[in-house]
Amino acid sequence: MTSSKNTSLSRSIDRVAQGILGLLALVSGALVVLIVCFLFKGAWPAIEAGRLESFFADPKWQPGSVRDPQFGVVSMLVGSTLVTLLAVALALPVGVAGAVFHRFYAPPALERWNRRILELLIGVPAVVFGFWGLSVVVPAIVRFVPESSGQSLLAGGIVLGLMILPIITLTSQAALQAVPPAQLQAAAGLGLGRARTIWSIALPAAKGGIGTGVLLSLARAVGETMAVVLVCGNIPQIPTSLFDPIRPVTSTIALEMGYATASHKALLFCAGLILVLFTAALVGWLSFRRPAIDSGTGGA
Amino acid sequence: MNPSALSRQNELNCSTSGSGCIVDCGTSNLCVSELSVFYRDHSAVRDVSLNIPTNEITAIVGPSGCGKSSFLHSLNRLTDLIPGCRVTGSIRLCDGTEITHPQADILSLRRRVGIVFQRPNPFPQSIRRNFEIPLKEHGWHNRDIPDRMEAVLRDVGLWDEVSDRLHKSAIALSGGQQQRLCIARALALDPEVILFDEPCSALDPIASGVVEDLIHSLKGKVTVAIVTHNLAQARRIADHAAVFWVRDNAGALVESGPAARVFSDPLDPDAALYLSGARG
Ligand SMILES: Nc1ncnc2c1ncn2[C@@H]1O[C@H](COP(=O)(O)OP(=O)(O)OP(=O)(O)O)[C@@H](O)[C@H]1O
Ligand SMILES: [Mg+2]
Repeated sequence: MTSSKNTSLSRSIDRVAQGILGLLALVSGALVVLIVCFLFKGAWPAIEAGRLESFFADPKWQPGSVRDPQFGVVSMLVGSTLVTLLAVALALPVGVAGAVFHRFYAPPALERWNRRILELLIGVPAVVFGFWGLSVVVPAIVRFVPESSGQSLLAGGIVLGLMILPIITLTSQAALQAVPPAQLQAAAGLGLGRARTIWSIALPAAKGGIGTGVLLSLARAVGETMAVVLVCGNIPQIPTSLFDPIRPVTSTIALEMGYATASHKALLFCAGLILVLFTAALVGWLSFRRPAIDSGTGGA
Repeated sequence: MNPSALSRQNELNCSTSGSGCIVDCGTSNLCVSELSVFYRDHSAVRDVSLNIPTNEITAIVGPSGCGKSSFLHSLNRLTDLIPGCRVTGSIRLCDGTEITHPQADILSLRRRVGIVFQRPNPFPQSIRRNFEIPLKEHGWHNRDIPDRMEAVLRDVGLWDEVSDRLHKSAIALSGGQQQRLCIARALALDPEVILFDEPCSALDPIASGVVEDLIHSLKGKVTVAIVTHNLAQARRIADHAAVFWVRDNAGALVESGPAARVFSDPLDPDAALYLSGARG
């Protein structure tokens, strides 16, 4: 008797919980949709006026010019892409090497402290990174390449790289931690040395997780604003060397949204929309490649 | 029963005598004396002395938790992987190499003493890579690897089944095929000893039979030590048998000798009950 009452009670509690959780999930999903709608609404005047064409076709970005307004955004998209790729290219080897060190070489106590420091590093505000870049990285670049201003693609790449380093290291560490012990036991049983165990067994088994970390940090780096505003030089141009200044899309939005009016503002919304779509594409790719990782079929 | 094995009378005569026992290593590939394995303070195996004769099959049986795996894993230093695990005593290979020596070259030692586990554990990479990785580690030239791989895959009867899919993932194979792949991978390194830790217990009866026949066929070519819970299997393939039992909270060797004698006429009462199926 009581047991049947209990089950019906727990069933209704379960149903209520399901409803609440579903609602909360819906809210967060709806918020994302709302943000995209908001961006669309802001961008609509530009799209309606057929400005998208000049968006990609104009060679320059000078929206404020009265005589010759131009709205070419390509150089900024290129700047965003390059600085992001550079950051990942710098952070990936360092992050994976650090994760390998802490998983296979360092004593466990050191590993714990390292993890704490990395988690702390994730919490450091972007503006602090930017400030560090401006006062350390930029002067260092000027010392090596005196003809450059220091504020450059390279400075942006280094600062962004440092910002995503903890993400890449922590995800790589987790991925290495998740390599099945049976695999490591098999490797040991065959007399494999540590180097080959890492290179041929652990890293191939962890590469899915490391790839996820790279995608996450790509999304993070593309959207980063504050740090790059301070160190990239903010000249909208396609760079010809690492030492040229660039201006990523996010910097443009941050710098100009405050005073932009009418069509200029709509174009900034367009730029924001493009960033969101880019991130969405990354996340979409992430979730599509997930099953391939889970089945555990490593490369040949 | 193999008469030569009987005539060798590789009886262990000092399992109870404590220190001062000199094990005669004459016909043995692995000479274990007074081996103890500890997990922190807990002793899992205590004072085991056992000879594992060359190119014959030694079955290790006993109830769960009596330290069979701990014993087996200490034979090629896999116990090193477990934090807090400590091994004392001596394990000597026939050329006198001391396995428990702290400065022993563990990697070449593990090449000489291979191991196959309960769960097949091929690397989740191509079948070919499963051979390339260990062979390269032990100094094989790239050009020799395909022939070596084919030879051992033929030895385990897997060649015809996989020769057209060497580039495919090894974990797409069936459990029995994976286990034979693991045996082939161990054989590829040309070991003197192969340790099997319940190699058939994750397999269905048919695959288990195939793997058992394969292990049986290794007799005369390589020294085999096999832990099994399947007493019938031990009877079918073993030349020598060792029975482990928990004594004073630690695994101990209570009976060992030629398989025919151990199975038909065990001296130890616990072993007798266990082997007759009445206990364990
Ligand atoms: N990694 C470990 N850490 C601590 N104790 C362990 C560890 N592995 C085994 N033991 C302990 O050592 C004892 C022997 O274990 P072992 O695995 O060697 O037994 P076994 O005879 O192989 O048993 P089974 O037949 O179930 O495989 C057990 O009491 C077990 O709890
Ligand atoms: Mg076991």
